[in-house]
Amino acid sequence: MKQRVTKVLGLLLAGVMTLGMLTACGGKNGDTEGGKDTSSASKETVKIGVLVADVSGEEAQGFRSYYEKYIASNYNVEFTYTDALESAEDEKSAIEKFASQGCKAIISLSGSDRAQQIETCEQYGVYYAVASGVLEDEQFETYKGYEYFVGQVGPSNATEFEAGKAMGEFFKNQGTKTVAIYGAFIPNPMHVYRLAGTIVGLGDTYGGTDDMNGIIGQIFQDQTLDLSKVEGDTEVVAYLQGYGDTTTDELNAAIQKSPEAFLSVGMATTFFTQSLNEAGIAFSDIDSFTQANGDAIENGKLTYLAGKYSSSIGPVFALVMNAVNGNVIRDDEGNAVSISQGYLVATDKATFDEYYVSDNGDSPIYDKATLDSIIGDNVTYADVKALVESK
Amino acid sequence: MKEKRNIGQMITTVLPFAALVALFFIFIGVVNMKGYRLDMYLKIAFNEGVVLAVVATGAIFIYTLGTFDISLGASTLFSATMGVMTYNKTENLGLMILVIFAVGIICSLFNSVLASVFHIPAFVTTVAMMSVLTAVAAKIITTEGGALGGIRIPSSVLKPFDSMGCKIALLVIFFAVSLFMFRFTKVGRRQKFIGGNPLCAYLTGIRYNKYTIIAFVMAGIGVGLGAFLTLVYTPSVTTTTASSIGMNIFIAIVFGGMPISGGPFSKIYAALVGGFSFMLLNDILEIVIESNAAYGITQIISAVFFLIVVYLTSMNYRTAMLPR
Repeated sequence: MKQRVTKVLGLLLAGVMTLGMLTACGGKNGDTEGGKDTSSASKETVKIGVLVADVSGEEAQGFRSYYEKYIASNYNVEFTYTDALESAEDEKSAIEKFASQGCKAIISLSGSDRAQQIETCEQYGVYYAVASGVLEDEQFETYKGYEYFVGQVGPSNATEFEAGKAMGEFFKNQGTKTVAIYGAFIPNPMHVYRLAGTIVGLGDTYGGTDDMNGIIGQIFQDQTLDLSKVEGDTEVVAYLQGYGDTTTDELNAAIQKSPEAFLSVGMATTFFTQSLNEAGIAFSDIDSFTQANGDAIENGKLTYLAGKYSSSIGPVFALVMNAVNGNVIRDDEGNAVSISQGYLVATDKATFDEYYVSDNGDSPIYDKATLDSIIGDNVTYADVKALVESK
Repeated sequence: MKEKRNIGQMITTVLPFAALVALFFIFIGVVNMKGYRLDMYLKIAFNEGVVLAVVATGAIFIYTLGTFDISLGASTLFSATMGVMTYNKTENLGLMILVIFAVGIICSLFNSVLASVFHIPAFVTTVAMMSVLTAVAAKIITTEGGALGGIRIPSSVLKPFDSMGCKIALLVIFFAVSLFMFRFTKVGRRQKFIGGNPLCAYLTGIRYNKYTIIAFVMAGIGVGLGAFLTLVYTPSVTTTTASSIGMNIFIAIVFGGMPISGGPFSKIYAALVGGFSFMLLNDILEIVIESNAAYGITQIISAVFFLIVVYLTSMNYRTAMLPR
């Protein structure tokens, strides 16, 4: 018995000591970190919370690197990231935590429930902006007048549709007759719009229509792409979506049907590059300009890449900084800003490098000099819109 | 020998409470040390823990029988989904609440019928139900929600319930009813008996089916209340709503000092104590470990704590003899 009690006490002590060490290691805002004394700056540092749903994707890592390494070293800001948020409850809880930590603004890269995010930020008086995806039109109409909703800068749903359409058209114009399609994470709205665009771009119809809204509605209803509904110029010989235990089998089955091309509406370069290169099937993706994708274009079979670059989330930061500094930028009607960003397309290594190299390291496309032109007391909606549309 | 066992039992009884108190003070300490707002953080921790606590409290009745229900998270999602659908069709709050509880109980009863009448092991039926309920709810949510990715009711509808007082009252009422049934009626005692030794309970004349159905009904009420509180916190339902509850119930019950095998050592307070302990631990780790740290480190540390707690709480149960 005595031995058992000793064991219990030992384990308890170990637990408490572990927690104590972690507590001590965590430090306090303003403590010395890595030899750099941050205490002097902490009073003026603007704390910005970032909501993220994806923590491992190449695009997500590129965004994070841009904010934490480039922006944080050039502006007096501190970014705090969430872990991967899985639900609307997680998002609300994260916003409440940011508010209690003294964050002045929140940038959202997570979209379980945007409406809830805006309402929660409004409740706590924290500025809010969307940096990935956009609100549905009806939803934006509802919330565009909210005091703390700064706005959204990113590809609109129509832009997502057009990105898919351009990708489909690229292969159709090359004379491709048979394709396999990867629908990524349907019913994620972004992927649904891209998929609908891809079908139209290939010269096909879905359920007898080539209208964007008509196709979108059916895909949401079907929860997948029903190949029996696809008709037109290009034959879709295989379709798969999601990523799980059966994905490899589904991919192999798709490869067995020998499509001339494999079109993906997202993340194929993360999941399938090696398999598709080995199978010798030309493939495309709507993703981002990363080193791995550059390798796939140069040495593999990646023939079409529509993507965003890491610093494309720069303008959202500028909007948020302006708001925190007292210049809440509104559009011409006095509402939150909504600016659509397009995709850049690379079909060869030279074009890829043009975007990738110019957006890396110390000289991103939205570098300090560029951002400074839209951060300030006198910056207007027209200034921001003009800059975003010029890139 | 009996004295030694009593000391062991005392340790395993007191330990979860001591851990909760210790975690609470550590939580206050780290929040203050970081300079964060304690009042807000306490509210956040409570909101995170309350849904888990009510659903897990209902689940205790099932776990006591020596079985478990892994579909409770999916049932919560499905109840909330049907509640939102009902409100959006009728704009009747009363009917919405009625539907939420009815769906929770029906889902649970369906499991109990399969388990007690058809004698299919509950863990088998609940795994199947988890898949079915999640799929049906996802179909409804994505079809109705379309590009919004979810369905929602106006936030003003449940605003009157979104206060600490209301939530605490609901938690206390449900816990009091559960405590009464578990400790002061034959239901709890017989369920413990069944969980400890089903054959012996059967030979004593205890009807397994009856107490299985009661257990699942109580779990269903917990699911309904959990779904309602989920909607009070976020009046929207997405395919991932309540997705973590199923596994967290398991962890909460263990953190609360109850053996997963159920039986006579089952404790009705385990879910309440364990649920809040688990949430406090997560919040402490989240605050202490900066976001710059590698992702998943909090889960690893939580897992280590989980194993320590399982070891400590199970020490007194590892005996070759039946409890007497």
